Amino acid sequence: MSQGFRSRLLSAGVIALALTATACSSSSSSSGGGSSTSGTLSTLTIANAVKVDTLDPEANSVNESIWLDQNLYSRLLQPNATGTGLLPDLATSWTISNKGLTYTFHLRPNAEFSNGMPLTASDVVYSIQRSRAFKGGWGFLLTPVKTITAPDAHTVVITLSQPHAPLLADLAMYAYSVVPEKLVKAQGAAFFTHPVGSGPFMVTSYNPDTEVDLARNPHFYGITPKISKVKILIIPNDNTRVLELESKKVDVIENPPGNLVTEIDKTPGLSVQLFPSTRVDFIQLDEHYAPFKKAAVRQALNYAINRNAIVKLAYQGHAVPGASFMPYRMEFYDNSIRPYPYDPAKAKQLLAQAGYPHGFTTFLITVSGDVAGQAEAVVIKQELAAVGITVNIQSYELTTAYSKEDGGHSQMGERYWTNDIIDPDEVATFGADCQGGANAFSSYWCDTPTINAVNQARSELNSATRQQLYSQVQQAVYTQSPFIVVDYSPYRYGVGDWVHGFHATPLGNYDLSLETLTVSSH
Amino acid sequence: MSRFGSLPRRLVHVVIVLFGITLVTFFLLRLIPGDPALAILGSSYTHARAQAIDSGLGLNRPIWSQYALFMNRLFHGSLGFSFFYHESATTVILNHIPPTLFLIAYSAVLAALISLPIGFFAGLRRGRAVDQVSRVFFTLSFAMPAFWLGIIFILIFSVHLPVFPISGFGSGLVGHLYYLFLPALTISLGFSTVLVRSLRTSTITTLRAEFVDTAQMKGIAWSQVLRRHVFRNAVLAVVAVYGVNLAYLISGTVLVENVFSLPGLGTLLVNSVSDRDYPVVQGVTLVFAVLIVGINLLTDVAQAALDPRIGQEIGT
Repeated sequence: MSQGFRSRLLSAGVIALALTATACSSSSSSSGGGSSTSGTLSTLTIANAVKVDTLDPEANSVNESIWLDQNLYSRLLQPNATGTGLLPDLATSWTISNKGLTYTFHLRPNAEFSNGMPLTASDVVYSIQRSRAFKGGWGFLLTPVKTITAPDAHTVVITLSQPHAPLLADLAMYAYSVVPEKLVKAQGAAFFTHPVGSGPFMVTSYNPDTEVDLARNPHFYGITPKISKVKILIIPNDNTRVLELESKKVDVIENPPGNLVTEIDKTPGLSVQLFPSTRVDFIQLDEHYAPFKKAAVRQALNYAINRNAIVKLAYQGHAVPGASFMPYRMEFYDNSIRPYPYDPAKAKQLLAQAGYPHGFTTFLITVSGDVAGQAEAVVIKQELAAVGITVNIQSYELTTAYSKEDGGHSQMGERYWTNDIIDPDEVATFGADCQGGANAFSSYWCDTPTINAVNQARSELNSATRQQLYSQVQQAVYTQSPFIVVDYSPYRYGVGDWVHGFHATPLGNYDLSLETLTVSSH
Repeated sequence: MSRFGSLPRRLVHVVIVLFGITLVTFFLLRLIPGDPALAILGSSYTHARAQAIDSGLGLNRPIWSQYALFMNRLFHGSLGFSFFYHESATTVILNHIPPTLFLIAYSAVLAALISLPIGFFAGLRRGRAVDQVSRVFFTLSFAMPAFWLGIIFILIFSVHLPVFPISGFGSGLVGHLYYLFLPALTISLGFSTVLVRSLRTSTITTLRAEFVDTAQMKGIAWSQVLRRHVFRNAVLAVVAVYGVNLAYLISGTVLVENVFSLPGLGTLLVNSVSDRDYPVVQGVTLVFAVLIVGINLLTDVAQAALDPRIGQEIGT
């Protein structure tokens, strides 16, 4: 036994030596990253915080996976870089006829999938129908769609039962990405572990929990990206992600933690870049709780909260005080609405008027682990205490928090919204229409003129009239305040200064920027 | 009674324990507020969409029939379909086992390599420099939370002295050994504390034993006495401690997996609970249960193999 022990010690020593040797050799050989021409590199490495749920666009629910998908698949149309309009994608042109009931899309004749197979109108029809039928998916957006047909290989015709203004925006959504009918039918779910699409990049290796590698799609019909490879790493730990960037092993990291933003900015060669998003942070007020039934109380809360303080303390200044409930970077956003000013005296007066001169006691649901949210809750608790309202903070894990907020037994809850389409129809239906399925962000606030305006705007094709209707909706939500709009927070990325041109759109997509950005050696 | 006479009875216990675990996990999981539909839909939740998801996942059936279906699948070797990954839960879990198993084995070996010599010498040189320094060092490393120690190691060995990678699992045996060195070291330092302290104590106790005096009086060289009589007997007492702590380690790797971005079982379990991915949570819990029950069983068997008296004790 003692002999055995000695020989084991010896072999352990050998392993340790071998380790040191590999450590030294691989650290010297792993630098670089595939340089192409002098001074520029061909690979971009992005570190995401969240694993990939699936590469199947109909089933995606994780934002990071949705943004990844945009690089792999194309759609009939796509949102532009500012998120306020649409660009042609597979469809180069389209016509609307029959009083807005018939849409005819003309496809690019040269579109191909990354394996060289031609992309035809029947693939488009199949993909849209497939996503429409997905249980719990986004089919409800296309409820007015009657038929989807392909009269020839390069034409798609959609007919509607009633005019539907958001149709083009709906079709530009990730869920309606085009997949090859033949392969998906033949391979089923397995197809999406090595998918074939018609976007600028294609998947070369897929490990949903660690790394997804992309290479330029040689059959892409658009401009040829300047980089030839993209590596998406999954690094959930905030500190680790920042350390990867600081040691220059990755080029871009998503969502650096707020408390490290200053440190990253101070590091030579690194910066934190903010991109306006469609995220709206708000406080849910459930009308089942008596005080919140009164508009005066809800307005009082709006006056009692100092949005500038929250932006400064919870978001390190990297957010914009909120006014309208609609995201601030989208079509039909009403610029004339200003954030509620901070006015505790006015708040007290409104509370007294509503019959609560001495305030009341309530609770505020927060999500544990959401650092900014926790800070925001503390500020709100303190500010509402100043007008006599006692707030008890209740912290829950994410899905538990949602379930507590959704059931109609809530009082106050921290929530946020992000758009999936660029048209205001989605946010208006979820946030302002108590019959739209989401109980007006679970506030249970019902206002008939507002509901009518939301419905009318959906089938109104005239842009000026829609602007008017959505302004009316935003004004009503602002004055009646079924929930407290706190701020608009941007997407945050840590970026090395050797990356030129990284950009995320308000929907979070970065695929357009990957087509043009360059990476210098560093 | 033979040395392993109790083994069949222990195996029956194991089956009962595992069955109980499926039952408890299945129902406890469904008691957590919030269901898969809510986790999937988030802020774009509507009742209609949630119902569609529930019917798609079979969650609208009565709970007992869901349990029966789960057990039926289990007997046919299937854990069901992951709600989140959209593929078989068995595949998802199998993909996450290697990093965790490798990490645990690696940490266990490192811990043994670190603690056996140090614990033994600390016992031999009681109160001297080796003893004092190791006491301070291991108490400190035990007190440091793994996620903090891991970050410190990354700062020193990956950022300032770029010797080891910051995150990832690597490929091939050498790749794994290289990539997992820092995470394994992080775990093994905490693990070693317990081993060093208990080996030190058992060494001191063994040194006082009469058979050591006897061996010495027989004229056997002191180095031989140490090797054959003291070390062997001292290590024996540590085997149980090693086994029990190894079982704890399996469920305790999650923090280290997070810091070093390792796609292991711990991470999968935590994520799957927040995603309400019932089939995966049930599967991972079962894997953990099998591992822990298995290690406990092996520890008993190993002890019985090393020490005939123990076999008789647990056999009665």
